Amino acid sequence: MADANRSQAGCYVVHSAEKGTAGPNFQRFPTMEEAVSAVAGQGSFNGHQQPSNLTKSNNSLVIAHLSNEQSDASQCRPRHRFYVDTHLLGSGGDGTERDPWPDVPTAAKHILSMAGDGKLNLRPNEQIVIESRKMFTATRLEKKKMRSQRIAKGVFFCMTLSLVIPVFAILGYLFVQAWPALSWDFVTLNPKRMGTEGGIWAPLVGTFFLVLMSLLMAAPVGVMAGVYLNEYAKDNWFNRIINLAVVNLAGVPSIVHALFGLGAFVLAAGMGKSLLAASLTLSVMTLPVIITSTREALAAVPKSFREACWNMGATKWQTIRTIVLPNSISGILTGVILQVARAAGETAPIIFTGAAIFLPVEDNGVGYWLPYTLKSEVMALSMHLYTLREQINNAPLAMQYGTAVVLIGLVLSVNSVSIALRVYLRSRKKW
Amino acid sequence: MASSNVADVRPNRKGSAFQSFRQLVDSVIDACEPIVEWMIRLSGWSAIVFVLAIFAFVFAQAFFVFENDSMIPSLWTKLDFVEFFTSVKWRPTSVVREQYGIVALLAGTGAVTVTSMLIAVPLGLGAAVYVSEFCHGKTKETLKIIIELLAAIPSVVWGFIGVAVLGPLIIDVTGSPIGVNVLNASLILALMSVPVIVSVGEDSLKAVPDSYREAAEALGASKWEVVYRVLFPAAKNGLLAAVLLGVGRAIGETMAVLMASGHKAQIPGGLLDPARTLTATIAAEMGEAPRGGDHYRVLFLIGIVLFALTFLVNLIADVVVKGIKGKQNG
Repeated sequence: MADANRSQAGCYVVHSAEKGTAGPNFQRFPTMEEAVSAVAGQGSFNGHQQPSNLTKSNNSLVIAHLSNEQSDASQCRPRHRFYVDTHLLGSGGDGTERDPWPDVPTAAKHILSMAGDGKLNLRPNEQIVIESRKMFTATRLEKKKMRSQRIAKGVFFCMTLSLVIPVFAILGYLFVQAWPALSWDFVTLNPKRMGTEGGIWAPLVGTFFLVLMSLLMAAPVGVMAGVYLNEYAKDNWFNRIINLAVVNLAGVPSIVHALFGLGAFVLAAGMGKSLLAASLTLSVMTLPVIITSTREALAAVPKSFREACWNMGATKWQTIRTIVLPNSISGILTGVILQVARAAGETAPIIFTGAAIFLPVEDNGVGYWLPYTLKSEVMALSMHLYTLREQINNAPLAMQYGTAVVLIGLVLSVNSVSIALRVYLRSRKKW
Repeated sequence: MASSNVADVRPNRKGSAFQSFRQLVDSVIDACEPIVEWMIRLSGWSAIVFVLAIFAFVFAQAFFVFENDSMIPSLWTKLDFVEFFTSVKWRPTSVVREQYGIVALLAGTGAVTVTSMLIAVPLGLGAAVYVSEFCHGKTKETLKIIIELLAAIPSVVWGFIGVAVLGPLIIDVTGSPIGVNVLNASLILALMSVPVIVSVGEDSLKAVPDSYREAAEALGASKWEVVYRVLFPAAKNGLLAAVLLGVGRAIGETMAVLMASGHKAQIPGGLLDPARTLTATIAAEMGEAPRGGDHYRVLFLIGIVLFALTFLVNLIADVVVKGIKGKQNG
């Protein structure tokens, strides 16, 4: 060690730059070890016990390697830079700015051990700088907070993932299981032998007609009710009751809707179990959501649009027809399309009101495309899935999975259309 | 879109025939204003009509017989209401004596609802916080869309997943002899009600003014502290409403629970016991119950109980939400 130091000609200088201290405050040492010991307060240093304890911000200690003649360390290039933060508790740290040492003796100890390992080799005109840590860098408290924040974020992220991943896993599994059954024939062929053979054409057409009919009834009424609530209704007790009714209608369980459909449409109105009764039931069920989404879409049209139109002399209805509805049609459509998906997927409201367990359509001709009249019972995809799984003993698994996948695909694609429409129209929104 | 309306009234359209036709149509439509306004009004009132009609028709089916165009009260006198609300025995088709006690069914609904909420509320609120506070831009949009799609999966498909996928899995993992039980139904219900909780919860977190967050961060709070100390107290009503809406959805869910809960009218002793809910009972037995018989009427009566339960839950949720709005205005 001594040989190595002699080979690097010159001496070591400890230079302490402390605020409020005038003039150079340094001392020469023959070896780096002695210089570092002096820094730690173990050797002698100009008569003082310690050159600096770096308690204040922006102080620094420099151990420079100079030739004998030189006395100014400011010409030297810093080769290593370490940090000390005396406000920290504990004894950890690795001397970096993010994780400084807690005091100067600790710093000296670590620097000595590093020098002993040969990691610190100062060439002439190089220096080691030990700085007190700058302000506005993370303290241990902040780091603790940041860590807890990272943990919180991680936990919340895991919660979200635990919702998303099982769904994708399940959907993937369903698709894999359904793969053997999925084919063009599966979609376009009639079910045979109680649905254990053939395809799902009849339920598919039935679902189509159910959704179409229910929307034909629910959409106009729902949109007009939304217009009423947003444009006409004043804030009085009666309209508050209407609002409450809408909210509660949305919360009525689907099986209670089924009971209502059975009591009102099938029995009291004398429709019997039929496409008409089932779609009326579905339309009552989808109505409140259409009302709510229409209302939200209308409420998004700025008040100033209406005022401008009124000032032109237009009546209330003219304003609604020419300004409010055209500007909110996207939102209204989105809400209606979402209800297509909902109506297609519902099973409970149609079980007693019009869904047939097995009722194949004609294999070709008009009956293939328009098999159902308003008075006839219909098959529906959702009901078909329930029947295949629960009512029939030996339905092939692949067909069950296939029906489920077609139903999910139908619903999700309708939803995706609605979402895409919304994103597209929102990007074009002018206000 | 507004500009296209402006363009319509500019007099630069060629052809006076078209213009006059258009004016004709416009004047006809405007002449219809009173009619249209009345239609709009009637539609607006329809929501009340339907709520009342639902109650009235279900009530009528439960309690009255329609014979020769006159209503005869029937179930009032025959049904033992004490037994209905206190007996555990649901034996509608017993040859000796039919018993209609809904305690076991209520217990089934309760068990499934509570268990599913124990899963769904922490996960749902956690996801709501994550979506609302911890992610931005594309990630946020994507997650919201995924959760929206999660809400779109039909309940019968969830039921199918419960029976066909989750059931065997539960048998494998827990060694329970049956896969369709309270646990299965609760897991399925949790996944079904989470989207409601997430979207309503996220809305209520979004409704907290940004100045709250900024003030807390300026005081040195970390994001987690902002969520825990500032957002949760500020949005607690909205979050409570989110939970209540989830509960409402869980109580009212029919098909998924019918398929996944095991369908046994008993008070479940544990997570791995099968159970049966109010909704599932109606769905399963209405087809077999002879029309006009006691069994049939009791099923409608259960419908009224369900209607009342969800009405209550939704009413509380609504009042809670109104509470927030009133406070914010004031």
